This record gives sequence, C-alpha cells and structure tokens, in this order.
Amino acid sequence: MASTQIVQLQSLKPDLHERAWVSIPHPSLPLIATAHGKNVTVFSLSTLSFHSALTDGHARSIRSVAWKPALPPHELCLISGSFDSSAGVWRWNKSSGEDDGDGLGQDMSRGPAGDETAKAGEWDYNLVLEGHDSEVKCCAFNPSGNYLATCSRDKSIWIWEDIASSESEDDWETIAVLNEHEGDVKAVAWCPDVPGRNSVGQRYYSVDVLASASYDNTARIWREDSDGEWVCVAVLQGHEGTVWGVEWEPKPRDNRFPRLMTFSADETIRVWTLEQGEDNADGDGSAMSQGLGGIPSTMRRSFREQWNCTAVLPKVHDKDVYSATWSAESGLIASTGSDGVIALYKEDEAAPSDPPAVSADKDSDGNASLSHNSSAAGGPQWQLLTTVPSAHGPYEINHITWCRRYDAGSTKRGEEEMLVTTGDDGLVQSWRIDVTSS
Amino acid sequence: MAAAALDNANPVILSASQLPTRHKRSAPRKGPDCRYSDLILSRPSYMSRPFLQDDDAQYQDDTAAAVAWSRFGSGAGGADDNLSAEAIDEQEIYDLISNITDPEHPVSLGQLSVINLPDIHITPSPALGVPSPNTIVQVTVELTPTVTHCSLATVLGLGVRVRLEQVLPPNYRVEVICKENSHSQDDQVNKQLSDKERVAAALENDSLKSVLDKMLESCIDN
Repeated sequence: MASTQIVQLQSLKPDLHERAWVSIPHPSLPLIATAHGKNVTVFSLSTLSFHSALTDGHARSIRSVAWKPALPPHELCLISGSFDSSAGVWRWNKSSGEDDGDGLGQDMSRGPAGDETAKAGEWDYNLVLEGHDSEVKCCAFNPSGNYLATCSRDKSIWIWEDIASSESEDDWETIAVLNEHEGDVKAVAWCPDVPGRNSVGQRYYSVDVLASASYDNTARIWREDSDGEWVCVAVLQGHEGTVWGVEWEPKPRDNRFPRLMTFSADETIRVWTLEQGEDNADGDGSAMSQGLGGIPSTMRRSFREQWNCTAVLPKVHDKDVYSATWSAESGLIASTGSDGVIALYKEDEAAPSDPPAVSADKDSDGNASLSHNSSAAGGPQWQLLTTVPSAHGPYEINHITWCRRYDAGSTKRGEEEMLVTTGDDGLVQSWRIDVTSS
Repeated sequence: MAAAALDNANPVILSASQLPTRHKRSAPRKGPDCRYSDLILSRPSYMSRPFLQDDDAQYQDDTAAAVAWSRFGSGAGGADDNLSAEAIDEQEIYDLISNITDPEHPVSLGQLSVINLPDIHITPSPALGVPSPNTIVQVTVELTPTVTHCSLATVLGLGVRVRLEQVLPPNYRVEVICKENSHSQDDQVNKQLSDKERVAAALENDSLKSVLDKMLESCIDN
C-alpha cells in the first residue's frame, strides 16, 4: 500500500495581511496572481516571492483574476473581476532601456536570476469592461484566449471577445449575455482544449463549452449554436446549496468528453459526465425526445445535452466547500473550504472506462438530478487519500489550485506539481504531495 | 417594500435592566463587593492606557475593554490571568450583540427581544473548556425579527454577524439565522447571511455600511 501525505512547503512572501480570495497560476510561466483587497499581487514561483503588483484599478475588492492564454512569450495580460461591478484589462509594460529583451519569456529557463529582469516593468491598467449591474464574481478565458466570460451577482454571464488587431491595443466587444440563472453566478469555467472536447456536438455547436455555477444551487452548460447564439444546453441539478464553483477534467482518459466537477455550500463535491451515444459521435440527440420542458423558447432547434451526476466524492468537509482542483498530471482532486481542511482524493483505476453507473433521474423539467440512493449504485469510485486539518490555522481557505513547481527545492522544475492554498489569513501557502510505498 | 415606512411602529420594548447580562452596570459600585476588583479586573501591565481618567465610569468601561481584550486575544493575557481560562459562552455572545441598535428604533436588539439568550448556541459547548486556537467553534444566533415581514431582517442579521466576526477569534464561525417561522422569507435571509462572498461585498457598500456603523455604534461603549 502506498500512503500519501500533504507536506507543507513555504508560504509565498510577503504575507498579504488581509483576506486573499484566489491565486491563479499562469498557464505557462512561473507566475501566480493573488487577488486580495483592491489589489492583485503576482508572485514568482521560482523564488516564491513578490514579482509585481496591480494597484489602483478598482474601487472595491478584486474577487477573481484570469491570465490571458496563448500570448507571445514576452507578453502578459491579466483580467481582474471586482466587486465594483467591472472587470479590468491589465497588460505588462516592460520598461524600455532594459537590454535583456526577454526577461519574462526566459524566466522559466534562466531560473531565479530571471526574476530580476522581470521586475523591470509595470502593469498598465488598459481598459475597464463595464456592463454588469453588481459584483463581478469570476472571470475566465477560453483555451484560445479570444473569449472572456465574466459572471456577477446580477445573475448574468457576459461573454466578451477580444477583437483588437494586435495585442498592444485593447478592443473588446460583448458577444453574449446569458441570463438564465436564478441567482448570483458564482463561477465560470471553459472546457479545456483536449481531444475529447471535439467528440460531441460538433454538428450543432462550435467547440467552446462554458460551465457556470450559481447561488441557485445549479450548474449550467452553455454552447454556441450554428446561428452564433449562446444557449444553455444542460442544467445540472442535485446540489442542495450554493454551487461555489465548477472545474473541468483537465485530461480525460480515452479521449472522452471532459467531465465536470462542482463543489458546493452543501459540503459535497460532485462529478458529472456527459451522456455520449454508442458511436461516441453525438449523444446529444437523445435528449430531444424528452421534450424541452423548462427551456426558454429562445432555444428553438437547439439540442440539449444529458449530463449525469456520476460520482459524489467521499464526504470530508463539514462546512462550505469553496474550492476544488483537478490535476492534469495525476488526476487527483484536492478540495478545501470554510472548515480549513485540505482533502485529497484519488479515482479508482477501473471507474473511468465504465459507462456512467448512475442513471439520471429526470425531474418534471427533464433535467438530470441525482437521487439519494443512486450514488451507491456505482460503488466507491473515489477514495480519500489524506487530509490536512487547520491548514491555515483557524482561518477559512478560499481557494486551492494545482500548479507546477519551479522553486529550487523541486526535483523536476516545471514538471513536478504542488498545491497552493489561499486563505482569509492573507497567506498563499504551497504544499507538496509525498507518496511513499510501505 | 417601502424601507422608509416603519415595519413595526409599536414594538414591545423591554427595559435594559430586565435583560440578562454579565456586564457591569455603569452605576459606580460602592462597598465591600468591589474591594478586590482592582485585583480581579487588573489589566496586563503592558497595556498602555494613554487616555485613562480617574472618572469611575470611564474606568469601568476601560476595564471591560481590557477584560474583553485579554479574553479575545487568544490567551495572550498570560498564565496568571484566570479570566482567559474560560471559554466564550452564550452570555458573553449575548452581551456582545444585545446592544446593537435597531435601525428603525432607538433601542437595542436585546430590548426588542430580537436577540434572546436561549437562542444562542455554541458548539462545542463552552462547558467543555477553552477550545484550542485551531478548533472550529460554531456560534449560531437565531434572530426573532419584530414582525413576520420585517424587511430589515437581513440588515439585522448582517449587523450581528459583522459584530461577532469583528471581536471573536478567527476559529469562531458565526451563523446567523431567523428563528423558525418568525420570518416569512427565512430561507432567503438565512442563505444570504451565510454567504461569505455576499457579506464581504455588502460591507463595501457605503450606504449599507453606514447603516451598520450606526447600529454598532452602541456596542463600542459596552
């Protein structure tokens, strides 16, 4: 039997000394951005210390940040979503006169020395994205980086497109406003660009798939149909409290469509699977016969997708689960929340190739829901590996994420993974996973 | 909902002296029962008292603050401070919040019976002793809004939650709920009050913040 331990590494310096909401690693560079108060602090993952700060952009707290992916190596663009109802577009402005030319792009390979050059620059607050009526809770980019989704307490999700001709200017256009949630939209997440993403629905929809989580206890799936309309293709019902967030399976096995993880104030974490047809071509046609009850007429000819809750993770938390993260490397899930506990889960090897073990119960609206006895049908698919109590002392932990290690202590720089937690105590804490066979 | 109109123009108001409390009455005490108060209520010598006056009432307030400080300072009061060895109990929670002023009436939530001692619950029980600094302690306060359609229930609850979160140690988790059947929209109010993100955002709303500050003003002196 192998035993797994979560070992505390150092916290990122300096301490922020106020509630920090979230820390988002850059998709390719050794940087991580933490939202706290009205500011964002960017830390270097090479030195585990201060890299740069984004200040004076928002009138109220910044709740979320998103790195624009797929940029040229020397460019950085960060979006901040704030309680002041706006989202900000920030770009890194390398100071001229530095002759290194490529400080940030080389940061990863040059090691700690690279961070010296990285500091030769500053963040410019380029543009305010205005439109939401109340607090922006989350923002996220699609894999190719041309779409940004923001969501708000105003119950809406906005999709913005970056239509500027070059990265040096900023021109953003609203392409959709999604209004179907009945409560605050707490989080949005785009399906990653993996082979399985293209396995379903190509006949009716474009490739991008957006998931949202809400105060109305549901998660929803959104796709763009052939008319360019963004429509809700599934309502995921089952949680008995606010759904704090959603996260896509980063690396599905067997080229299946990525599964979706949701975590909630009801203290549970659920995994949902899209029902795919026998030929794996498009399972979404099957939902047609169920009628389109509960779907607004604007959906017209659109097809629903059938999403089933296929797992409820072992119960650990006894308060809200604020955050959970799914590793692309190991497939492990880590979660945390108000109880200050970090929990680590592993999926049984056999489970993913099996067809969804839990058959969805249809409620009167034809939506998928999970009955209480159905989780037993599939047997224990996920097992709890280990927990860390009081991971931030007595404080609540608001966010957890997998991220790559670049610091001197790592054995495989840029490949080895670690966990980073962000808490009410203003600490951004890193953790190593140790597996020892006995 | 017209917030301008009073939801309950004639609430039952209890006199402050009828309410349960462990606070010292502000009337100066004479006689043998305060002979040892200097010793019992002595503050740590390292606490500075730049504004100390000889005025007795002021002294009482200072003392109460010092006691509260040492109690909430996660045991920093030192080994010789017996007061720090007591767990925070329901009466103490009551004393922290019963003085909150109702935003509609110039009286306290205790006097309006919005907050009642039997409706305060602490888990694990304070009778089990002082919890370790990392033990999560759940404090649940059930509110009884003055009328069933009280549009201010959310504001009252917010005031209670904010007050307790300001003074309790970080291992205390505060839950404020409407007492069953006392409020027609319990679920919405309860859900809103337990949503950390909404509470945080509400505190950055200037007009709401000023209402809350006004409500909590009356707590500072106690």
